[in-house]
Amino acid sequence: MSAMIRNTYTAVIARGDVWRQSVQTEPYEAAWAGEAIFFVRVMEATGGGAEPPAATAVARVQISPDGLCWVDEGAELEIAAKAESLSFARVANFGGWLRLDVTVPPQTSIKVVATLALKA
Amino acid sequence: MQSSHPIHGDPRLSRFDPLSRVIYFDDFDQGMNGWTTLVGNYEGSIDTMTRSYARHTQPMLSQMTHWDSGTHGAFDGTYALKIATRAVPGERNVGIKRITFRKAGRIRMETYFAFKPEASELKLSDIDVRTIGFLYDLQDGRERVMPHLRYLNALDGKRMNKWQFKRRTTPFRSIGGRGETVTHDHLSPDDWEDVPGGAQKLCYNEVPTKINWHYLRFDFDLASMRWLGFQCNDQVFDCPDVDSIKMPAMPNLSCMLNLCFFCESDTEKRAFFYLDSVLLSGEF
Repeated sequence: MSAMIRNTYTAVIARGDVWRQSVQTEPYEAAWAGEAIFFVRVMEATGGGAEPPAATAVARVQISPDGLCWVDEGAELEIAAKAESLSFARVANFGGWLRLDVTVPPQTSIKVVATLALKA
Repeated sequence: MQSSHPIHGDPRLSRFDPLSRVIYFDDFDQGMNGWTTLVGNYEGSIDTMTRSYARHTQPMLSQMTHWDSGTHGAFDGTYALKIATRAVPGERNVGIKRITFRKAGRIRMETYFAFKPEASELKLSDIDVRTIGFLYDLQDGRERVMPHLRYLNALDGKRMNKWQFKRRTTPFRSIGGRGETVTHDHLSPDDWEDVPGGAQKLCYNEVPTKINWHYLRFDFDLASMRWLGFQCNDQVFDCPDVDSIKMPAMPNLSCMLNLCFFCESDTEKRAFFYLDSVLLSGEF
């Protein structure tokens, strides 16, 4: 990596995907990065209701030694199931791989854009 | 031999044979260098995107770390660009870099690459990756031209080990209601043809976690929009009868010079296409 300036890269890990029940994002390799922020923006929601309290999905950040087996890192996003809700979680010292393990409440679906903002 | 070539003074470049000008030399130890995911066109709603493009995911920088042997590392340094499919048979993924050309002359793409399936089974797995390949998306004042080259490693569980090209894409489909945006799936599984004499066995090695790097060179002439040939490791392919997908020039793609790398899985296992570095050179 260049020593001149901090490298950064934003990966879109879900682009208009509809999340229901249990979902895991594809493994993302980012050993070069020292810190990361997951963002989840809800484009549309069904079943959660627009009036509070909306249903809440939970996305747990997971890490992996090899991209094959996964364990909760501890950080979580609470995702309100309503259009334009935006949530995030910061992580650091995560090793080589990152993904989200998402649980959406019954009778609820959310269409999302999820991004992973990485920085060396 | 080109032993007098000035690049031999630089160990990182001395394994390449660039033309007189380097357009870009992307060593992925330095970062992503402008490589991103290929998304499909859309208008009004992201749901208008062709499904095969909507499935594409972002490329990564990988140090190729495995459960059994730790970090493999790249050809040089630590990181390689990684293009990974989802774990679904027939799934593909595409990484892209977009520039334009300043002279319609000869260009040469060189890369050191490797491919492997995800190491999720304790078996050889050498026919789990379906294809790896690359394409240009080019336009001059007359035509949009898309040379496609792929290595068909396996298909539906059968070992294939040959290079292919294509001259046809899918029909154009209008997107949205404004008449401004169209799409076509030029990487669809249809219409691939064998490169004459294009059989080649590559070095897979014995388990999914052992990686051997390969050299690929592809020469093209932007003036005539013709293939000039390609080389993979010790085999050279002249390609006199090989051609590209061609269509009338489109309104907003003047001098486009896009380079894409892609891969496909043949099984319910992720396919990984690694690029240690990419060097694009030209005569201009």
